[in-house]
Amino acid sequence: MKLSTKLTLFITGSKLAIVGLFILLFPFLIAQIASNYTNFSLRNQQKKVIQNINSKGIDTYLEGEESYGSYTMLKDEYIALETAAPNLRLDTIRDTRRIVDQDTLAYRVLSFTFTQNKKNYLLEIGKTTASINLYNDALQRFALYVLIILIALSIVIDLVFTRQLIKPLGQIIKLRLANTRFPFKKKQVYIKTSTQDFKYLDHSLISLMDQINEAFEKEREFTANASHEFMTPISILQNKMENLLTEESASETVQEHIVDMMKTLERLKKISRSLLLISRIENEQFSKHEQVVPEKLFDEIVEEIGHRLEEKNIRIDVALKHYKTLDRMNHDLLFQLFYNLINNAIKFNKENGYIQITDSIEGNLYLIAVTDSGQGIKAEEIPHIFDRFKKTGHAENAGYGLGLAIVKSIGSYLKLTIKVSSTEQEGTSFVIGFNNNI
Amino acid sequence: MKVLIIEDEKTLAFEMEKFLRKAFYLCDLSHSYKQGVEKLEMNQYDYVLIDLGLPDGDGFDLLIKAKKSNPDAAYIILTARGKLEDRVAGLDMGADDYLAKPFFLPELHSRMQAIARRKFKVTEELIPLGNFNIDLQKRFVFFGEEQIELSRKEFDLLSYLLLHKNRVLTRIQLSEHIWGNFVDDDYDSNYIDAHIKNIRKKLNIYAPTEWLETVRGVGYRIKK
Repeated sequence: MKLSTKLTLFITGSKLAIVGLFILLFPFLIAQIASNYTNFSLRNQQKKVIQNINSKGIDTYLEGEESYGSYTMLKDEYIALETAAPNLRLDTIRDTRRIVDQDTLAYRVLSFTFTQNKKNYLLEIGKTTASINLYNDALQRFALYVLIILIALSIVIDLVFTRQLIKPLGQIIKLRLANTRFPFKKKQVYIKTSTQDFKYLDHSLISLMDQINEAFEKEREFTANASHEFMTPISILQNKMENLLTEESASETVQEHIVDMMKTLERLKKISRSLLLISRIENEQFSKHEQVVPEKLFDEIVEEIGHRLEEKNIRIDVALKHYKTLDRMNHDLLFQLFYNLINNAIKFNKENGYIQITDSIEGNLYLIAVTDSGQGIKAEEIPHIFDRFKKTGHAENAGYGLGLAIVKSIGSYLKLTIKVSSTEQEGTSFVIGFNNNI
Repeated sequence: MKVLIIEDEKTLAFEMEKFLRKAFYLCDLSHSYKQGVEKLEMNQYDYVLIDLGLPDGDGFDLLIKAKKSNPDAAYIILTARGKLEDRVAGLDMGADDYLAKPFFLPELHSRMQAIARRKFKVTEELIPLGNFNIDLQKRFVFFGEEQIELSRKEFDLLSYLLLHKNRVLTRIQLSEHIWGNFVDDDYDSNYIDAHIKNIRKKLNIYAPTEWLETVRGVGYRIKK
């Protein structure tokens, strides 16, 4: 899951959880507030009554009678003042029932005794419990609306902000990782961000990419230089031997030795040339704007390699049926690629074996398969067959182990897919896929 | 025929000289750009062999200069760089041929001969070979009036041996001439033998081919 999705889910989820919790607790909180407020207002009323009595005397209420009572029209509130037993002491607020004018109602009642003119009085102020909770629902609903609006607003703000915040991360992923392919040729520009962590990540990635490029560049340069530097001494040795061979003083044995040395030198020369070819491909020194017709290409290869087929009496069957023209290719490189594959198919084949060249279309890939009836490749060796100097399989003339390395570098330069499947003792199939040539 | 070899690697220049001298060329050597320019100003040559990687100047530059003082000479560029662009650039600038190092000396010689044929419009007559006649230009082998079919590679092989008659050519030298120096993963190819066998088989129907000798352990030679 992407970080932004996770953050969105987390922000929304946590806020909704808070809202949920609040909705659950809200009735209790409101009830608590209403109850506390009621107690507070009862005490206030008590204070006012006592003040009135203190300043104006108890008769303001009693008017000479034993008791005083008053209630509001709907009996929501009442007040009662009466003489009490001399030793009664009360100062409480509690929920209880009272009969007011023949109606029994639930009240919250403040009971308070006090002494005035040496007489004990009991003051009761009551409020119906129904009226206490009268505004709870409305209050709750209103608070809920406000809450939802606030939460929605804060979710929106959070999302916009986090999106803005992690935007550089997305850019880093897109620019440095998703859309780049090795070697990283494009000049990398630092991403603009004020977040220290992203800056660090971005700078580190760019410096890593530079390091990889540099290492690759060095290896490439080394291969090119080394194989190139070999050429001059090889030239000298080779030409010296050639001249030596034509010396009249050279006996037959000496001549044979010279030819043996030339063969060894030839090996060195071919290895250097192969490495030089690989480095030239990696340095992109070949054009990619040629059109290649596979039928013609295989005709050329078969002509070139025909004598090798004859030697082992191997039948080659070129059965291409799609008559394609491959665009944006390099003729010589494709020649080299299929030449190497077919050459291997001969080398590792049995006497009287066969080689099949077939084509097919799969999705937007045009596929050419080179299948042989040879000794096959062990499954555990398949991942390594394209490595340089890796020799697998057994043949009288196994080569230097650069043939498939060349195939691989040509494949990646021309952006071809290469798939290998093999069954031991039955044969191997190399499938080369050409994109966008349909 | 006078040849100027401009090559900074002295041993290499010396070996080329040795080989060409045997083929009756007169050779002059220069080991630097400067020396090359001097020699070119003083003398007229039939062939100029220029190494691209000279220490004191650009080989292409030298080619342009040389063409002014020696307009009739044939130019062959030699290089260990082996870059495709070098080849194209060299030929564009008026070089007659291009050889990537390392090359075999008979190959250099046969390129020089080919240029001579092209440049001086030598229309050779049929070259006799035993009881056969060979037309190198039209690539035919005749027995009397009858034309003998050889494959492209077989003809290449035969004419290459013929151009270097009386000289033993090794299988490697022959392979490289026939298959070019395109990269091959094999180091001990005996495919030349198969081709020679075919040539003998095809020609022996008409007349003996004792002039095509196998030199044991070395290679092949046409003796005339």
